[in-house]
Amino acid sequence: MPAQQKVETTGPVEAGPCWAWAPYEPDDERPWDLARAGHLLRRAGFGGRWDRLQEALADGPQATIDRLLQPAAEVEAFHRTYDAYEAALPRSNSVEGLTAWWLRRMIESPQPLLEKMTLFWHGYFATRNRAVQSTELMIGHVQRLRAHALGNYADLLADVVHDPAVLLALGAQENRRARPSEPFAEQLLAWCGLGPGQISRRDVHEAARALTGWFVLRHEMRFIEREHDTGVKRVLGHEGPFTGDDVLQIALAQQAAPRWVVGRLYRWLISETDEPSEELLAPLVEDFGRDYNIGDLVERMVRSNRFFSPAAYRQRVKSPVEFALGIIRPLERLVPTVPLVEHLALLGQELGDPPTSQGWAGGRYWINRATLLGRHRLAEELLAQGGAYGEGLDPAAAARRHGREDESSARAWLLALFLQDDVAPEVREHLMRAVHGANGTSSPALRHFARAVVAQPEFQLA
Amino acid sequence: MFRKSVFTLSAALPLVLLRLAGAADPLPPAAEWLPPEPIVSIEVSDPNRLLDRLLDPHTTAAIQETAAYQHYRKTPQMMEFLNGIRLFEASLGVSWETALRKLVGGGAMVAVWPNGDAVAIIDGEDADLLGRLHEMALAIAQGEAEKAGQPGRVASADYRGVTGWTFNGEEAHAILGTRFVLANRAEALRAVIDLKAEGSANLASTAHYRAAAEAAGSSPVMGYVDLATLRHLTALHNALEGTSEPLASLLFSGILESIRTSNWLALTADLHESLLYVAAVTDGEPVEEAAAFALPKSPGEGAMPNLDVPGRIAALSLYRDLHGFYAAKDDLFPERTSGLIFFENMMGIFFSGRDFTEEVLAELKPQVRLVVAEQVYDPAVGTPRVQVPAFALVFGMHRPESFMPVAEGAVQTALGLVNFTRGQQGLAGLIIDRLEHGDTRFTVAYFSTVDAKDPDDLDTQFNFRPALARVGEFLVLSSTEGLARDLIDVLTAEAAEAVEPLPGVHSLMEADATALASIARANFDQLVLNNMVEQGTSREESEAGITGLITILEHLGRARLEMGSQDGQTRLMLDIEPNLP
Repeated sequence: MPAQQKVETTGPVEAGPCWAWAPYEPDDERPWDLARAGHLLRRAGFGGRWDRLQEALADGPQATIDRLLQPAAEVEAFHRTYDAYEAALPRSNSVEGLTAWWLRRMIESPQPLLEKMTLFWHGYFATRNRAVQSTELMIGHVQRLRAHALGNYADLLADVVHDPAVLLALGAQENRRARPSEPFAEQLLAWCGLGPGQISRRDVHEAARALTGWFVLRHEMRFIEREHDTGVKRVLGHEGPFTGDDVLQIALAQQAAPRWVVGRLYRWLISETDEPSEELLAPLVEDFGRDYNIGDLVERMVRSNRFFSPAAYRQRVKSPVEFALGIIRPLERLVPTVPLVEHLALLGQELGDPPTSQGWAGGRYWINRATLLGRHRLAEELLAQGGAYGEGLDPAAAARRHGREDESSARAWLLALFLQDDVAPEVREHLMRAVHGANGTSSPALRHFARAVVAQPEFQLA
Repeated sequence: MFRKSVFTLSAALPLVLLRLAGAADPLPPAAEWLPPEPIVSIEVSDPNRLLDRLLDPHTTAAIQETAAYQHYRKTPQMMEFLNGIRLFEASLGVSWETALRKLVGGGAMVAVWPNGDAVAIIDGEDADLLGRLHEMALAIAQGEAEKAGQPGRVASADYRGVTGWTFNGEEAHAILGTRFVLANRAEALRAVIDLKAEGSANLASTAHYRAAAEAAGSSPVMGYVDLATLRHLTALHNALEGTSEPLASLLFSGILESIRTSNWLALTADLHESLLYVAAVTDGEPVEEAAAFALPKSPGEGAMPNLDVPGRIAALSLYRDLHGFYAAKDDLFPERTSGLIFFENMMGIFFSGRDFTEEVLAELKPQVRLVVAEQVYDPAVGTPRVQVPAFALVFGMHRPESFMPVAEGAVQTALGLVNFTRGQQGLAGLIIDRLEHGDTRFTVAYFSTVDAKDPDDLDTQFNFRPALARVGEFLVLSSTEGLARDLIDVLTAEAAEAVEPLPGVHSLMEADATALASIARANFDQLVLNNMVEQGTSREESEAGITGLITILEHLGRARLEMGSQDGQTRLMLDIEPNLP
């Protein structure tokens, strides 16, 4: 497989929003190739298995996106099984069991886009088990996120504000008439893109009054009518005896709300290196503000010219979860996820416990000297035999399964699998020629070679 | 016989097999052919005694009936192995059982030295059969070597009149009449041949080995460990230096000190009916001051027999002077002073300001017993999703009348603290009650099931129903009401029978793997799910693995380990009773 430089000449990058959000159609200058197929499967999932990459290449981008968006027949049964696994977890104040099962669900899911979006919302709402202290509530929280991950944002918000895990995480388990919880109201408005400069302290206080009456008692939501402030409130210029649901509607009617969500999703799906112009996002904001349909917004983004342009290609740093799953999924084997939870936490991504109420900062903050070494160490562990991951991932076995029996073809296959051949020719040549200690097609040799491949800077980018 | 000459024994190729034309004279004991000071040696002096039991038709039939055997006999590896056995029998014209007796019936000995040398000496009863077997193995080895393109790795050489062979360029072996000598390298085999020829200092002539052999008596299996040499190995040295973990120190004191001062350890093993007996003796005594709390102070003293309750999984009985142990904490664990002061302050809260050493631990007798048992859940309460065994501690009290109220207060304070903490988390607390069992009134704390949604899927907390009871001079602190009731019955019966301590015994452990298997079976789904995420296996693989583990547990049966001091020696006795159909 020849080394190529992909996604270089890709058309009118600086063209207007019409072109940017129009569906991508391959042409001579922007062909549908392995690099773009890999890009799509990384962003809309956790990296492609070889058969998925080949299927995508054969079917073209739009048919592949159709498949990513529309659940396969077995998805429902898959999630039912995993929901049952999670429900069987012993009740405790730890979230380790849940995150181990969630990682396994990400590895095995026939609909990786759904898990990718669930992970996005987890970072977005940043509910921390450190405050919740309940496996059961965190299971329920993540299931809510999954249920709405590609659904309706208004429904998602309405569900989230009635989620006991969220209230506990915000310290808002008691919303008394005599002491409304302003941090809760402030966070709710923030999820609608409303912050300092757009709202006053009075808006926050009045919104908090509207949310009174809601309590978390023995891990369940309870509405205590006598604790609800039935008086007239004035929020964002509107006046009335509002409830929390009313405040949500008022907030979502503000222009800032769709803009906020679109901006966050742009960073997640397209690029975290540029600040998109208002003009560029305007069509998406307008459409999203109409019905708050997350699935439609995601679909429009991933089908777009912008998504397949250099403005998006490798313009995100992989999170530790994306990095690890980018090694595991392509090699088509399960790994123990209990140690993986711990290793990801060491790299800065403690699932179930985001560091702040803003979630993970992401981007270049994922990478520093320590975490880079940690990534190399994790790759080494995943590919090692007899370590924390048992027999470890075996690239030689995967290569053989796909008919790559000799050293040269096995190495070339691994380069295509992990980097879609998109590395500088001199790097490719170096990797193909000699990686110290990795000669031959034996299992140890190809494990060593795979470690060298996933240590490349290109592999750190999504 | 194909033979390729090797002219230089110092070359990388080692050797092996030799055949003495006139080997009619009885061979000396194997230990006389082994160099002195091995780290460890194992000698089976009467293999037929063991083979009689192992090859007994009842035993083999019982093994073949086990689910584990039925499972493994269908695996490709086992099929290949069985085919190999059939080929062997056809080629040599003898059944494998007969061949085994003829080839090893005279005894066997294995020894390992600090430099990594290892030698096995096996005495057979049929030189002709041994020779034919060697010819057969040689032909196979040569075929394999040819196939691998390394015909030179099968070689032989003569050394001091003995022909040695190697089949892979590393191991070395020789045949001397009915004796087969196998070494992991040529130098080790040469050392054996030198001893045979010269009769110089050997293992059998060392004082420590002789003392160990005397202590082992007529056991058909004897293990010898040179503790004096072994202690110099870093890992063991560090382990023996003492532990900074108070609990580990409490449990293992008396054992570590003994090994620290011993020159040798003798292990013996024997089979009687379905029981396997293993015993260990050292020449060291735990005389150090630090271990004094683990040593019975007078000849009649020792740990109490274990308590036997229904569904018992394990039991531990210790002779430990807790007061003496804790009073010496500053000397035993100087680096843990801060932590222990904190612990002591906490105990002060529970025990209403009493001094933990002088007013609490001093009230307890040195006999401590622990019982772990399978639970029987009350249908009126329900069954937890994860089933945890019940466990209980039993202490003897010097002044039960005055100390029991103190203990009662401490337990209720602890329960109050638990309830307060749970209340802060919005969780239900424990309800404290006083119940009666026979003539005994005891305290129980339990969780209400008012908020429980499914009685067949209760939370883990419903495994606990802490109980505190006094039975005569004994204080029972149990994790469940059921086990507390059983212990009240057992201790009442024990008092009636005037059960005496086991003289000289400081530690007694008993375990029943069958009961453990029962717990594992009750938690099968949970174990499978845990295994899936811990090992990265599919559900089917995990189910097969856990089923295999349970099957093994079911066949392990019971084990009893007793440790103590007697006649200036530290003794350890292990009895294992496998559970065969």
